[in-house]
Parts: sequence; C-alpha cells; structure tokens
Amino acid sequence: MDAERLSGLSDSAFTAALVGYAIAAAGYIHYLAFRRRPVWVAARAVAVVSLVAHLGSIVARGLAAGRVPWGNMYEYSSVLAALVVAAYLLIVEWRSKVRTLGGFALGFAVVTMAVARMQFYVVPAPLQPALNSSWLKVHVISAIVGSSLLTLGSLFTILFLVQDRREGRRAARAEAVRAELAAREPAPILGGSVDANPPDLVPGADEPVPTRTERRGRLPSAAVIDRVAYRTIAIGFPIWTFAVIAGAIWAEQAWGRYWGWDPKETWAFITWVVFAGYLHARATAGWKGRRAAVLALIGFASLMVTYYAVNLFIVGLHSYRGF
Amino acid sequence: MERARRPLPTFRESLAFVWRSLRSMRTALVLLLLVGAASVAGSLVPQTGVSEDRIAALVRDHPLRAAIFRRLGLFDVYGSWWFTTLYALLLVSLATCLLPRTRALARNLRARPQFAQDLVGLRHHAERTLPGEPAEALSRARRVLRRRRFRVAAGRNGGGPMLAAEKGMAREIGSLAFHWAFFLILVGAVYGKATGFTGRAVIIEGSTWTETHAAYDGNIREGSLFREDHSGVGVHVRDFEATYRDDGTPKDFVTHADLLDADGNLVRSQDIRVNHPAELDHVKLYQFGYGWAPVIEVRADGRTVASSPVVFVRDQVEGVDQNALPWRGVLRLPSLRPQVGLEFLLWPDRRALERFLLTGVSSPMLRPFEPVLLVTAYRGDLRLTASQNPTRLDTSGMERFLANAPVAEGRALDVVHGLTLSFPELREYTVLQVTRDRGVPIMLVAAVMILVGLLPALYGSRRKVWVRAEPAGEGTRLEVGGFALQRKAQFEEEFARLVDDLGAAPGGR
Repeated sequence: MDAERLSGLSDSAFTAALVGYAIAAAGYIHYLAFRRRPVWVAARAVAVVSLVAHLGSIVARGLAAGRVPWGNMYEYSSVLAALVVAAYLLIVEWRSKVRTLGGFALGFAVVTMAVARMQFYVVPAPLQPALNSSWLKVHVISAIVGSSLLTLGSLFTILFLVQDRREGRRAARAEAVRAELAAREPAPILGGSVDANPPDLVPGADEPVPTRTERRGRLPSAAVIDRVAYRTIAIGFPIWTFAVIAGAIWAEQAWGRYWGWDPKETWAFITWVVFAGYLHARATAGWKGRRAAVLALIGFASLMVTYYAVNLFIVGLHSYRGF
Repeated sequence: MERARRPLPTFRESLAFVWRSLRSMRTALVLLLLVGAASVAGSLVPQTGVSEDRIAALVRDHPLRAAIFRRLGLFDVYGSWWFTTLYALLLVSLATCLLPRTRALARNLRARPQFAQDLVGLRHHAERTLPGEPAEALSRARRVLRRRRFRVAAGRNGGGPMLAAEKGMAREIGSLAFHWAFFLILVGAVYGKATGFTGRAVIIEGSTWTETHAAYDGNIREGSLFREDHSGVGVHVRDFEATYRDDGTPKDFVTHADLLDADGNLVRSQDIRVNHPAELDHVKLYQFGYGWAPVIEVRADGRTVASSPVVFVRDQVEGVDQNALPWRGVLRLPSLRPQVGLEFLLWPDRRALERFLLTGVSSPMLRPFEPVLLVTAYRGDLRLTASQNPTRLDTSGMERFLANAPVAEGRALDVVHGLTLSFPELREYTVLQVTRDRGVPIMLVAAVMILVGLLPALYGSRRKVWVRAEPAGEGTRLEVGGFALQRKAQFEEEFARLVDDLGAAPGGR
C-alpha cells in the first residue's frame, strides 16, 4: 500500500476511534449513574474495539511516514490518548476491578483527540534532522507513556476529592443524626448506611450497593479511588523520570548540553518535582489525603503546560538554524 | 496502638526514626515544592543563554522592568543567589534526613535479623504440626526461606530453637541511592561547568581549525576553574553538505571532517551531523550551523590586497523564510589610501535575486545556482581603533562610491580605476559547537542511581518472618509469625504461600 492510502486509512481509523470513545464514554457515564450491567459490557466492548482501531491508526501513520509514529503534536496526542485508554482498561478495570471511572478516562481521550484533529493535524512527513535520533524514539515514547499514566492518576485524584468531600459531608450528616437521636431517648440502633470502613480492593468492590435513596454515592469509595490514583501515578512517575533522563541524554547528543533550562525542560522538571512532592506528601504527616491530592492536580496542570503551552505559546530552542 | 506496644527493639527504633524523619520531611517537601515554583519564573522570563534576543527586546521596550528583573536575577533564575540558596537548603534538609537513614541501613545490613519474643501477637501468624525432629524441621524451613531470598539467622528464644528472617532491604537501599543521587548531580554539574568550556568554531571548507583559545574568536564561555588547558586537537573540514527534501524541509546537515591530534596527525575521518557529534580527547564537536564563505580577491594597482574566503551571515527576519534571504559580509582594506570598506550581499541563487527585483518577493535558495555578489564600496576612515562588528561596517566616517554592483561567480569587477574585485569561488563554512564537560559521566551515574533506586523505593517492601520449632509428641510444632512494613495487603498472600511451603497449612490468626 502506498503512503497516501495508509495515511487516509490512518485518518479514518482515528475518526472511528474518536467516535467510538465518545460512545463508550457515554455508556460508562450511564453505568456510573444507573448501574445497568449490559451497558457496561457494551461500553467496554466499544472502548476495546475503538482502541484496536486507534492502534491501527497509529501503526498506519507510522508506516505512511516511514518512521516512528510520534514525531509531531498530532501524533503525540493520538498516542497519548490511546495509552490513557489502554492504561485505564489494564490498570483500572482489569487489575483494580474498578469499572465506574471509564467515562473520565475516555472523556479525556476524546478531548485530546478532538483538539489534535482540529488544531495539530499535519500530513505524515519524515523528521527534520534535529529530531532524527534513536533517542527520539525512547525519549518521546516514555514521555507519552509517563504522561498518560500521570494524566489518568490525576483524573482519579479529581474524583477522589469529589468523593472524599461527599463522604465527609455524609459522615457529618450521619453524626448530626446520631447526635440528635442520642439526644432523644431511647438510643436506636443505627443501620449500616454510613460507610465508615471503605471496602477492600476486591472484584466489583464498587459494584452496586447504594439504595435508590443514595443516588449520589455512586462512585467507588474515596479510599478505593485514592489507591487506584496512587498506583497509577506510582507507575507513571518512574517512566516520566526516565523520559526526562532520556531527554537529557538526547540533548547532550544534539545540542552539546544535557540540561539548558529550555522551557520544555523546565516544565518537565516542574512536573517531575510536583509529582515527586505528591509521592512524598502521601507519607508525610499533615499532607496525606486532600493536600497530597491537590498536589497531584497541580502536577497535572503542569503536565498540560509542558505538553500544550510550551509548544504553542512559549518560545524555545527547538529549531535548527544557521549561524 | 497495639502495634506500638510490641516489644521489638528494631520497631521502636524505626518508630523513633520515622518520627524524626517526618519532622524534616515536611521541611524537605516544602523546599522541594518551592524549587518547583521558583522554576516557573525561569520559563516565563527570558533567560540568559536561552533567549538573548528577547532579553534585548525587553531591555529596549521596558527598561524599568528589565532593570528590576536584572536586580532580582530573573534573567538567570537558575544561577541566581536565591535559587541556589533554595536548592542548597533542600539538599541540607535532605542530608539531615538521609544521614541517619544511611547509618541505620548500614547497621541493619550488618546486624543479624532480630528475634521476636512473641509470635502470637504478630499480624500474621500460623501454627502447624509436622512429623520429625524440631532441628530437622528448622533446617528445612531455613532452606525454604533461603530459596525465597530471605536473610536467615538461627538462634534460640525462650522455649526452643528459632529462625529469624527478613527481606526487602532493597527498598531502603533504592530510596537512599535515589536521594543521594541529587548530591551527585550537584557535584557533577558544578564540576563539569567549572572545569569545562563551550565555544563555537567557524571553519571554512578546506581549512583546518585548531582547538586553542584564540581560535574561538571570542565565541567561548569558560568555567571559573578552567585553566586554559585546551586540547590543541585539530579539525580539518573537507566538505560541508546541507541537503533538503523536495518540499524544502531540511534533510541533513553534515560536516565531513578529519580529526587531528595535538601534533597534527590524522586520528580518523568522521562525519559530524546533527545528533551525531564527534569526540576527541574529551572534547565534543557538534554540528551547530553553516553558511556561505565566498572567496573574494581584491587587487589594487596590480598588487593583491585581499584573497581569502569571507564568512557571510544571514539575518533573521520575523515571518520570512530564512532561506529566501541574502547573506551579508564585509571586507576591510585598511592598507589602501584612503581606506576602503566593502559590504556584500550574497544571493546564492541568481533566480531568486531576479525574482526579488521583479516582484519584490524572493524565493528559497537551497542550492547555489549561479551565485551573485552585490558590492557596495565605501572610502574614508574605517575607524579600526574602535571595536569592530565583524559583519557590519562603521560607515560614519566614510563616503559611499559604489552601490549594489553585481559580480557573478568567476567574474571580476572594476570598482574604480586601479581597484578590481573578483569572486572566483563560493565555499561553505560549518559552525561546530565545541564542548568539554567532565561532569557528564558523574551525571550519568546519578541518572542510573535515580532510575535503579526508584523502582525498589516505590514498589519494594520490607518484611520479617520468624519460625519457631518445639517438640510436640511424636513430631514438631512449627510456629510461624511475620509482618510487613509496607504493602501489607500483598504480604497476606505471600505469607500464606510461605506457610504452605513450610509444610504447615495456614492456621488461625
């Protein structure tokens, strides 16, 4: 097949995956709200099929350009979205058995891909000399894998904050009811509606449970979300570290210095520092829980700056020029 | 609560240690985040060495703001006193945390695993009765534990013989390696920068450049401890080649060079291209830039006053394809009376020049095609005593007597009577960045420590297991206890499998 047809094929598969993710995201959100098992089964099937189409699109793109398919912003976004979805399906659904968070991961993929399609699309082309290095493959792919995991972990941290707050309110409300009941007498026996002890990480731990009156408690417990978020970030962080180091090695080869505080380098470093802070904060008294979660969100914001803003708005050293 | 009362010396020790480190950890965390926040400033304000032209623009357009920024060190955030202080404080805080941890680790590694008094009180506990002697059961247990890569010590405790085993020291070793690496980074960066240099060498095709201070022509930054020990190695450029794809995007920039040692002997021939530097005697040579160097000959009254390639440069104009711009060069002839200064514009592609003259729009000149020089000549005082811009004439004391006279390659031009200029040949020059940084291997070691240390630090867990054997009737009663300091949920399963292996089904808690 010639490059043009491959490129067209890649574009069609990309669009198909984008639509598929949107449908699957809607299905997951429906499942989150109403817990219809067939909807989840269907949503997951659509997500998996879309992911396969998406991977096909990436491979076709690489073949069309005759190089690794992560040489520009469009391709980077595409691979990032694919990895967020893949990491969600593997780490969250398969390993952690949490099924209700799919809408958020897929939603992120939809937004990323839509922006890439509208803003960054370019026809496949070979790389310019400055990017033509074997370290490109290593550096960029580890940056994409790392940021997909950090993204996913941060999305879950948002949910953790939402759920944690809700649980706090619920506990406060239950406490108020208990106090009121205690003030009256005789003291009644209170049912198990207060979920003080989060369920363990077992298959379907987040399954149904809540009664019709408890419409708002449909996410997994805060403790479960927090653990999933931590696990995802703890995998993403070493990969991000490796990406930064590989970038430094590449910079040493291409520019004659391993670190030059170029905006991209600076923001990659800031992101690294903030997530390192997150990992430490979880083991630091007074920083556990919500404060650590806020750090992860700052890290996510920094990651987005590293990824979008530096490329679009901040001038840096990424062009080859004459003396 | 219950665990705090457990009479294990190591545990009490580690509790005290955790308390101590938490105290400084909070400080370290705040400092770490401050370093992150301070770095943001450096990406918003243009930095020295990264975006000089934007600094210049700021100084021109907003002198007050620029003065404040300069006073605050914002043009060089990462070298400023406050950033350095922050980083130093972070390292000190880190050291106060790491030193006791390192001592404790060394102690733990030397010491035999400790013996527990009471296995029943441990989080994981199992009992089983086996046939055979206690000693036999214990030696079997020892083999099982060894196979699972526990460190095992045998001893006695209270009732009978006992084994104490532990594993997972990699977590602490990894964590310490990771954190100590940041000191190594400081050492590597400071040492490398202080004893090294980085400069730019402009080498015209066919000429040889020797790595000495003068050869950089001022284009060099030296570290504060650099002792002028230049390598003296030579680079002979045979040819420079820039290739482009059909759509005009660059494909490759390559300098075909012969590398010479300090005595001028050929070491090897090597192509230097983007992403593929050459290294000789710890000096690294990087492809950095390129340009045109037309050979220009000037004869005055039959006598040759100039005959050499002249390095031309190209301006950067916002929003214009650089390849469509002509190149600029100057030639000073101070020996003539009156002195003569020549300014040139080089159009490597004649067609682009013609198009520009007809339509006002140039086109990219990727390959030379009948190159043309436009000559503008001045006479008067060159003011050579003042500092000179290598690519611009100071014409304030001069009078122009020729404007934009074209000379094609291989042709000559009578500038005035008795003064002829010829353009026999168009050559290229290459710009190599020349760097020596002896800190790089140190940084590499630090990077490996960070990566290799991070994995066990994040995923490892330290766990301890004790096995006690007592005679019970015909056989032996085997009692197993254990606990994990981290990843407790996973240890539950591991402990169950271990007890299975030890020959006893997991008993009650």
